[in-house]
Amino acid sequence: MKTIVIDPVTRIEGHAKITIDLDCDGKVEDAKIHVTQYRGFEKFCEGRFYTEMPAITARTCGICPVSHVIASSKAIDEILAITPPQAGINIRKIINLAQIVQSHALNFFHLSSPDFIYGFDAPKEDRNIFKMMQTHPQMAKDGINLRAFGQKIIETLGGKRIHPTGIVPGGVAKRIEESQKQIILEQIPDMLKIAQSALEFFKTNLHKFQKEIDAFATFPSLFMALTNENGTLEHYDGTLCFMDSEGNILKDKINPQDYKEFIGEAVESDSYLKSPYYKPLGYEKGMYRVGALARLNIANSCGTPLADKELKKFKALGGGKPVLNSFYYHYARLIEIIYAIEKIEELLNADETMSEDVRRTSKISKSRGVGCSEAPRGTLFHDYQVTKNGIITALNLIIATGNNNLAMNAGVKQAAQAFIDSKNITDGALNRVEAVIRCFDPCLSCSTHALGIVSSKIEVRDHNKKIIQVIDRN
Amino acid sequence: MRAIIGYGNSLRGEDAFGLDVIKELQKLSLKETKLISAHQLTPEMVLELQEADEILFIDTCHDEKNRYALACSLTEQNGLNLSHHISPKTIIYMLKNLYAKFPDFFIYSMMSGSFDVIEDKRRYRESVEIVSRHLECY
Repeated sequence: MKTIVIDPVTRIEGHAKITIDLDCDGKVEDAKIHVTQYRGFEKFCEGRFYTEMPAITARTCGICPVSHVIASSKAIDEILAITPPQAGINIRKIINLAQIVQSHALNFFHLSSPDFIYGFDAPKEDRNIFKMMQTHPQMAKDGINLRAFGQKIIETLGGKRIHPTGIVPGGVAKRIEESQKQIILEQIPDMLKIAQSALEFFKTNLHKFQKEIDAFATFPSLFMALTNENGTLEHYDGTLCFMDSEGNILKDKINPQDYKEFIGEAVESDSYLKSPYYKPLGYEKGMYRVGALARLNIANSCGTPLADKELKKFKALGGGKPVLNSFYYHYARLIEIIYAIEKIEELLNADETMSEDVRRTSKISKSRGVGCSEAPRGTLFHDYQVTKNGIITALNLIIATGNNNLAMNAGVKQAAQAFIDSKNITDGALNRVEAVIRCFDPCLSCSTHALGIVSSKIEVRDHNKKIIQVIDRN
Repeated sequence: MRAIIGYGNSLRGEDAFGLDVIKELQKLSLKETKLISAHQLTPEMVLELQEADEILFIDTCHDEKNRYALACSLTEQNGLNLSHHISPKTIIYMLKNLYAKFPDFFIYSMMSGSFDVIEDKRRYRESVEIVSRHLECY
């Protein structure tokens, strides 16, 4: 058996390598992602005072800190047994949606679009954002403008662009001023145009990628997402829902506080990334996907007009069943950008959002609290246990990217089997293996709590597990 | 207009050097100067730099052997990159190629061996003050 190693995996956040094992005949026998970084937030947060948790856990990530602050604050809301006032909830939702816009925009415009513009087989010196700036400058600018829109909202309402401090237990630190609202609203039409134009570009070019659509993590799996009473797209509140690949609801209305009854967390010896699974089906059989694809599969509608129009077309891809092709994560993220912009406008125009009553306070009422929200990459859990004096005694985090670990591994194997031939290992084939991971837009620093640089590596091993080729992509 | 960007992680010891320099500069009334503190450099930052004739980046550089030494590089230290954060070189590249802006730029770095704590507070403060004074008079 031979093994191919892709190390580092590029255009993702974090540190990972891929090993591809070949059998005696040179066919791909197995392929795995190894997340090679570790940070240990669950351990060093023990002993800290509970009010510190939003600020500390936000540092898990520089990309989606908003998600951590929200999940952390919601966990503490539970411990304090308080529900924030509606204005506080709405402002949290706006900040969360702004993060969805900026995070999804970065993945599409700056990390993934070089593959869509130049193709997966283009020379790697051409297949990057810098080439794109030369040939498609407006597209690069559009990405920057969408990012700026999202980041500015986070800064305005949350206090800082990265690691915002304005989301606090009980609500938010300050109300929205009328002038701030107007500045955001004025940008909505332009941002919607950019998002719609990106979606059109993607849909127009989809026909070029049928091989990838068929082989990039395209298989039956479960899907998990938050859902609300109306069955509309939900990123902040609601209950958990598991759907199977036929569209049957396995279990819904799960209170996030009870997630441990339904989600098991396995650990593999070759990766620091945990492998969560749907407990009733057991490890591996209980593989599920989260994130934009899962959310759109589970939601009946988005609840906003432009996004709903696109959702209908998206759902048609599945022919009445869930869309199983992970390549369509890109598609789903673009629809979510449109939804998020529309929803931000709707929330800003709601009278209760402008209320001065944005925060409640209380004392510790419970010894445990679970905060759950939909981060850009999927469902995020913060689970804290505290003493009556507020000292954290135990902490469990299930990070959005981690939920997708089993599916990402299965996807890498599927793509390797489809594109890798031991006699002719091309850069385009290796790029496709990496691109499967990029579909999920993983944030590995976040999910393992890493310390390190962004990098990736592909290793090819023979049937004796001897490395015969290493492709360093750093 | 001159833009000064100090960036780093305030929880990671001497990585906060750029941020602390900006804090010092904020106490002064520097004319035609925009001061920016950032955890990391991100693509949308180029929109704030459209009017800048000159951009100064202030950062910490890992160097175990020359701790607290200061360097001002006339050329980019890092290669082109674009993931969820970017290098000074990428910022300059984007300004040139997307917005036809050609600012002068310099990178001020303090060498550090510690990204956990500030190991020698006196030398660290001295470095912050030296760079702040230099930028005030520059």
